[in-house]
Amino acid sequence: MPEVVIVGAGIHPFGRFKDKSYEEIGAFAAKQALNDAGVAWSDIQSAYCSRMYLPATSGARILRRLGSTTIPICDIEAACASGGAALRQAILAINSGEIDLALVLGVEKMPRGFMDPSMIYSPWQIQMGMSMNPAYWSMRAKRHMYEFGTTDLQIAKVAYKNHRNSVHNENAMYRKPFSIEEILSSPMVMDPIRLLEICAANDGAAAVVVASKERARRIGGKHINIAACSQTLAQYSADFRCPADSLSATANNMGPTEFTSNQAFERAGIGADDVDCFEVQDTDAFCEVEIYEQLGLCPLGEAGRLIDEGQTEIGGRYPVNMSGGLISKGEPVGASHLGQVVEIVSQLRSQSGERQVEGAKVGLAHVLGAGGNCAVTILKV
Amino acid sequence: MDMVENNPAEFQRVPVRDGLLAGDLRRLDGVRLAGTRCHSCGEVSLGQNQVCLNCGGDQVSHVSLSDRGMLWSYTIVRNRPPGDYKGPDPFKPFGIGLVELPDGIRVMSPLDVEISDVQIGMPLQFRAFVQHVDAEHHEVIAFKFTGVA
Ligand SMILES: [Zn+2]
Repeated sequence: MPEVVIVGAGIHPFGRFKDKSYEEIGAFAAKQALNDAGVAWSDIQSAYCSRMYLPATSGARILRRLGSTTIPICDIEAACASGGAALRQAILAINSGEIDLALVLGVEKMPRGFMDPSMIYSPWQIQMGMSMNPAYWSMRAKRHMYEFGTTDLQIAKVAYKNHRNSVHNENAMYRKPFSIEEILSSPMVMDPIRLLEICAANDGAAAVVVASKERARRIGGKHINIAACSQTLAQYSADFRCPADSLSATANNMGPTEFTSNQAFERAGIGADDVDCFEVQDTDAFCEVEIYEQLGLCPLGEAGRLIDEGQTEIGGRYPVNMSGGLISKGEPVGASHLGQVVEIVSQLRSQSGERQVEGAKVGLAHVLGAGGNCAVTILKV
Repeated sequence: MDMVENNPAEFQRVPVRDGLLAGDLRRLDGVRLAGTRCHSCGEVSLGQNQVCLNCGGDQVSHVSLSDRGMLWSYTIVRNRPPGDYKGPDPFKPFGIGLVELPDGIRVMSPLDVEISDVQIGMPLQFRAFVQHVDAEHHEVIAFKFTGVA
């Protein structure tokens, strides 16, 4: 498989920007990625826009601001995995040989609080009160606590770690450390998940410029290799996530995070132990807990121990969510995976300052969301 | 509560979702969740489906699911759900959970159990009930699971 590399990365901070349109936010990140790569907008041969809650042809509306063009610009949507889906399309286009330079943009501008449930749920689920995404995450947490003895404190420690990491990330929304006591006494959103343990929908954008290895050589600069970019949909009953109405009690399929990361590890020719830093889907703190097990950072049921031992902190064996994760950055859905990718690029370039993982050479970004849409991208120096 | 439930319908009754309920909606005691059993892989899926949601096979039977189950996991809804929620007004916190049925399926359902009493493993009983009257004056039949005395 020909190699595709990242030659430029850009990000608009994640947060709430009342006075900014999504076009403005998106164009900012795209422009920054182009500048970082040292290429002109007119050099780009194809562009992909990851977004979920924005109107049709958002990509074209945003990128028009960089100058008129006739290149194909497609919007891509796969729930929380949209960014992975968009990046994968760019890689496939470059690997096809038709193009050698593409822009991948993720952008979102979202309403505050609960989103319009009809985007995800059927009318009967809404009528019966089964249309809140955190309810589904919470039920996974409750079951894990029941089966493995995972505690409220262990879940709170993940939120504590991510909030603390975010202090050093100028692109995060909150950037405020919270004590374990503050986290555990924050309002219960959906038992056992509390307000300071959950991510908020917000606005933001992130972008990368990707090129064939040959084109990248001509552009020059320090490039980051895309070792793998996998996107899958959860197997039958392998995942319980909105808007599922039931779950088989007899099927025993591998879950989407394990399935997708296995595929990505195989393509990259490495394993979890070879990865120096991780950015994963912490839509809530428990979600990150179970991902430790699903990525193979520890055996099933032992994620609580991993966090107790501090192994997922910066400086630990498996640093996770150095950026502060979605819990502190917020989750602008279309932008979230590309935001993770931009963080990993920064880590692999040793540009992450206070949140730098010393000597990071391999990084993994993971997203998982509605309908069991999952994406895993592995980057290498 | 639910005094009108077993009266012959003055209103026509419809299920909250087509194909979700089995039995005569005029007699709510006999109503059950509908399921689809696959003759190829044996999986049972929720509702009356034309193909198996696991293997895609079309050799399937429509079945009634058991009305007794056990709570597999749950959470408590503490704020009024968004959108067109038809529960009590003013809002009252309630549990929702995955109820494991002996048919080999766990079904997401509201729980009619005191929230402080909800726990994993508790036995539960299926109940169909009139949820609301819709714009066409149909009584809309939904379901919940209640505690077992
Ligand atoms: Zn089947």
